Amino acid sequence: MYNKVILIKDTDLKRQDKTRDFYTHLLDYLRENNLHSEILLVRVADIGVYDKGLVLKMLPDRNTYINVQDTDIKRIVDSILQGKIIEELVFRPKVKQHRIVLRNCGNIDPENIDEYIFSGGYAGLKKVLGELGQQKLIEEIKISGIRGRGGAGYPTWMKWNFAREVESDQKFVICNADEGDPGAYMDRSVLESDPHSVIEGLIIAAFAIGASKGYFYIRAEYPLAVERINKAIKQAYAYGLLGNNILGSSFNLDLEIRLGAGAFVCGEETALISSIEGKRGYPHPRPPYPSVKGLWGKPTVINNVETLANIPAIISKGGKWFAQIGTQTSKGTKVFAVTGKVKNSGLVEIAMGATLREIVMDICGGTLSGKPVKAVQTGGPSGGVIPESLLDTPVDYENLQKLGSIMGSGGMIVMDEDDCMVDIPKFYLGFCVEESCGKCSPCRIGGFQMLGYLKRISEGQGKPEDLAQMRRLSVAMQKASLCGLGQTASNPVVSTLKYFEPEYNEHILNKRCPAGKCSHLVTYSIVGDKCKRCGLCVINCPPKAISGDKEKGFSIAPEKCVKCGRCVDVCKFKAISKD
Amino acid sequence: MNKLSPADLEKMQKAPNGAPKDWIKVGMGSCGIAAGAEEVYNFFAEEVKKRNLQIDIKKCGCAGSCYAEPLVEVSVSGLPSVVYGTVNKEIATKILEKHVISKMLVNDCIFEVLI
Ligand SMILES: Cc1cc2nc3c(=O)[nH]c(=O)nc-3n(C[C@H](O)[C@H](O)[C@H](O)COP(=O)(O)O)c2cc1C
Repeated sequence: MYNKVILIKDTDLKRQDKTRDFYTHLLDYLRENNLHSEILLVRVADIGVYDKGLVLKMLPDRNTYINVQDTDIKRIVDSILQGKIIEELVFRPKVKQHRIVLRNCGNIDPENIDEYIFSGGYAGLKKVLGELGQQKLIEEIKISGIRGRGGAGYPTWMKWNFAREVESDQKFVICNADEGDPGAYMDRSVLESDPHSVIEGLIIAAFAIGASKGYFYIRAEYPLAVERINKAIKQAYAYGLLGNNILGSSFNLDLEIRLGAGAFVCGEETALISSIEGKRGYPHPRPPYPSVKGLWGKPTVINNVETLANIPAIISKGGKWFAQIGTQTSKGTKVFAVTGKVKNSGLVEIAMGATLREIVMDICGGTLSGKPVKAVQTGGPSGGVIPESLLDTPVDYENLQKLGSIMGSGGMIVMDEDDCMVDIPKFYLGFCVEESCGKCSPCRIGGFQMLGYLKRISEGQGKPEDLAQMRRLSVAMQKASLCGLGQTASNPVVSTLKYFEPEYNEHILNKRCPAGKCSHLVTYSIVGDKCKRCGLCVINCPPKAISGDKEKGFSIAPEKCVKCGRCVDVCKFKAISKD
Repeated sequence: MNKLSPADLEKMQKAPNGAPKDWIKVGMGSCGIAAGAEEVYNFFAEEVKKRNLQIDIKKCGCAGSCYAEPLVEVSVSGLPSVVYGTVNKEIATKILEKHVISKMLVNDCIFEVLI
């Protein structure tokens, strides 16, 4: 039986992986000292620390040593035997993941209600029904300071309180699980991995306002989430956690699932309500806000999946506990779906106030290619691009807004120098133009016009005065659009104009795309003295635009080239230039 | 199933979980399934039956490290529980033969990423 386990990984990005060498040296030392049956060595694939040389992690105590040298072997083994820690080698991460929303994700079986209950589930609901009552419940949520995680960051307690105060024979609660931002999938993951936490949150919200009917609005593109929520609702009914007399109280609630067809605008609360009512998913002017006049004209609270998943934890541990986490204005944690050119893509939950750099570099390991980060996009099509120089900004609602982006629902896309800052806003704006419902003209026409400017610039047809026009247009869209979609659709454009104007000018004045992304502005050619005439590009060129032979060399016919970049990918000698 | 009272709920949460059992947990969120978790789960379930091993094969959701799916967590008495990433049938076989049967951790497959 092994008393100790040492995990080993070389995390130095600049050299060849030395994990095996160190493993052998340490193993030899252990053998020489007859310790190899007490201490188990394991080489691991990923140790969660990046660019810190050789990293050792001791189990079960989980101490981590970084920048370890061969000469440290003796003292490390000695310290393990003596149960001591070598202070100067210990790694103390600046930021750690803090799991509240994802507390059960990956731990419990999402299809088994008992596992949720064993891990403390539905204790919040019990406390609400048995001890707190409506008033104290809302008070507790107020103390916690939680704000909506669906994008706008509106204080949850205020929403609930408005709806509670309105007299009505019928009230509704809705869980917004429409999650339409490209690159965001936190909500899907929570629904799939811990459905009962969201259901419990929704039951508590319903109790807070006195609703007897609730809906899950889930996009049909999330079949597994739908299936698991469906199962979880059935299990909750069977246990008397839904239906009449919940947990033996006088509180009744029925829950139902409504599928969305995947239109982005249906995530907007008034459009979502129309969609549930069976109408076309058109947004409406607010006020009246849904908490006063929502679904079928009745007071309705709409909350995001992540907001609701926080609620049971807040009730169980108390609003004060929650309010200790995070920054002055933004309490608790936020889950981000980190994707793009990043090494470890996935879900990251951090306390508000962690910096973007800590998330991208320390937790996610930087870029996959090892190239420097150019910018980070947050908030999806409603958000903006934040340049590398501002990555030390602590994440909270206000800070991101100051930078011209938004917290959004939690998509975070990492970009490196191969991403073009004209192409990126073109993608997002193209998305919004397609998803615009067309009801109001600032969004319908403004978006279309703005996209036209971006297309022309990316094709080398832009004019210097276009940038000022785009800025004017964006102000009109922000001020005059009916709903959040149009009001925020220009954010990716405005933020890239703010931080990357020289890159726009390069496209307009010099007809060049520095990132080599805008296909109209790049020409592929073969660099004669680098080319080894292997012919790999010829075989791999889809439109057969490369001709020549091994004697005379090869060349690319510009009229046939479709600029797919395949030749660049396959050339081992970097002999294809893109300019 | 019976409707729960508050007391029932409390009882369930206080109940001792019994003797600790060995288990293997496969991440079955969309990300895991897309990366092949279903095949890995079925493989474990079949092999455990075939080899008559005393270990539970369980399902769970996504632990967050989507880039390393399928993720498999293994808890066997006498060893710290660890998470293996990018598991396929080949690694799954090693997990059974080395980790579960010989009580050794498998080299080069562990993702110890939550800091
Ligand atoms: C175009 C648009 C799309 C939206 N999509 C979503 C969405 O997918 N999920 C979501 O929770 N909120 C979305 N919202 C925000 C909702 O309108 C609403 O503010 C939110 O559901 C409120 O929940 P919260 O207070 O818990 O954040 C969207 C808003 C707009 C303008």
